[in-house]
Amino acid sequence: MRALSIAATGMQAQQTNVEVIANNLANMNTTGYKAQRAEFQDLLYQNVLAPGAQTSDQGTYAPNGIQLGAGVKTAAVYRITTQGDLSSTGNPYDVAVQGPGYFRIQQADGTDAYTRAGNFGLSPQGQLVTQDGLLVQPGIAIPQNTITVTINAQGQVNATVAGNNTPQTVGQLELTRFPNEAGLNAIGSNLYLETQASGPPQAGVPGAIGYGTIQQGFLETANVNSVDEITALISAQRAYEMNSKVVSAADQMLQDTTRLGGS
Amino acid sequence: MDNSLLVSLSQQLASFRAMDVIANNIANVGTPGFKREAAKFEEYVAHVRPSEDQKGIQTVSFVKDAGIQRDLSQGSMEHTGATFDLAINGKGYFAIQTPQGVRYTRDGHFSLDADGNMVTSGGQPLLGDGGPIAITPDDADVQFGLDGTISATVNGLGTQLGKLRVVDFSNERLLVKQGANLYTAPPSQTPVTAVDATVQQGMLEGSNVSPVIEISHMVEVMRAYEATASLSASQEELLRNAVDKLGQMPN
Repeated sequence: MRALSIAATGMQAQQTNVEVIANNLANMNTTGYKAQRAEFQDLLYQNVLAPGAQTSDQGTYAPNGIQLGAGVKTAAVYRITTQGDLSSTGNPYDVAVQGPGYFRIQQADGTDAYTRAGNFGLSPQGQLVTQDGLLVQPGIAIPQNTITVTINAQGQVNATVAGNNTPQTVGQLELTRFPNEAGLNAIGSNLYLETQASGPPQAGVPGAIGYGTIQQGFLETANVNSVDEITALISAQRAYEMNSKVVSAADQMLQDTTRLGGS
Repeated sequence: MDNSLLVSLSQQLASFRAMDVIANNIANVGTPGFKREAAKFEEYVAHVRPSEDQKGIQTVSFVKDAGIQRDLSQGSMEHTGATFDLAINGKGYFAIQTPQGVRYTRDGHFSLDADGNMVTSGGQPLLGDGGPIAITPDDADVQFGLDGTISATVNGLGTQLGKLRVVDFSNERLLVKQGANLYTAPPSQTPVTAVDATVQQGMLEGSNVSPVIEISHMVEVMRAYEATASLSASQEELLRNAVDKLGQMPN
């Protein structure tokens, strides 16, 4: 009986759905997190009688045909790359990107990763690093005895050192964009890697055409909408329940079948 | 074998088919653009020999598959807010280029590939009036008009990028489902530009599966199956009794 396996594909799909929603809710307060959505597609159809099949020599056709579906599959879990809200932190090394673009981060093995999470800090050597101590590229070193650091919308980093009232430029933040940012590979710790699907990285200065601007003292919050997620969770749970009802109905029918030959 | 058992059998096979179709509807309750289906059955009349006390030709009606009818009503519109999520309101399909030829879909979830082309989750390009639709990173604020016109702001100036190909068919029931939310058009159906369709950006058309209807159909099918099963059981009982009674040797 096909209904059993069809309902199983439905349960599997809804389970993936719930997992994706759970991950979104768990990351509601993760800086720069982008919500994900599971996308479903119907499975192959078996053509018992193709629609439009000829039913007589007189040119009559079947209006509907018989196409039996085999259930559902998860086609993709994609990231929604809309802008998250900016929340004020007052920390000079917290920077948010308003608009498109990622910060480039050098991983421990020397390769590049990209992030939207601008909650940076300083290394013991005074370099701008992520919370995991990875260097922000291009490298920016804040001189010792710095009193204030300002980062403007174009990403220019200025430091005022004790004994000198004129701020000096100590570095320039860069942004990287991709033809298809949804195609980036998330590796955890808020980092993304370039893939075949994302296309090649294109570096630029914040504020240039097609790049976002920098907001110092702000962090980009997750773009997860809790109301949306909870409603999606409820409908996913109900859909799972319905599929399990189909399993028990199919089971009931099979029980009736086996009882036929008995007594 | 007795006709009543065969009639029951035809009904039971039909119930299995109906259950499979309901299961597929329920499994696809969250599939964008999915159209629910209903199994339709018809009577198959067979002529049988009259029994002893009957006159003329007698008939027996079996159940037979007539077809699976697609419900083409509009699915619910779900707001996603994503730039490349499009929903068609009204009669129409998006055209998709696949290696096997042009296919049609109502699933409007698209994203960009590495070259900036708008593609389905399967990576197949969406077709506009002039082939695949390419969006460059310089195209800010991409907008889709109700008629499918694509525009963007490039260097601060509004620019038209092209127009979506939204097509319609004289009889969309003849489109063949091929899975992955795609339909194939048979040679008899030539796509024409849809007139009765508007494109909505940031929305997805959900499935038009209604849980209440499916669950009540499911219960109905299950009970009908149960009833037929008990009918077969009593028929079997009758047969056994007949064999028992008739087989007894008179003393």
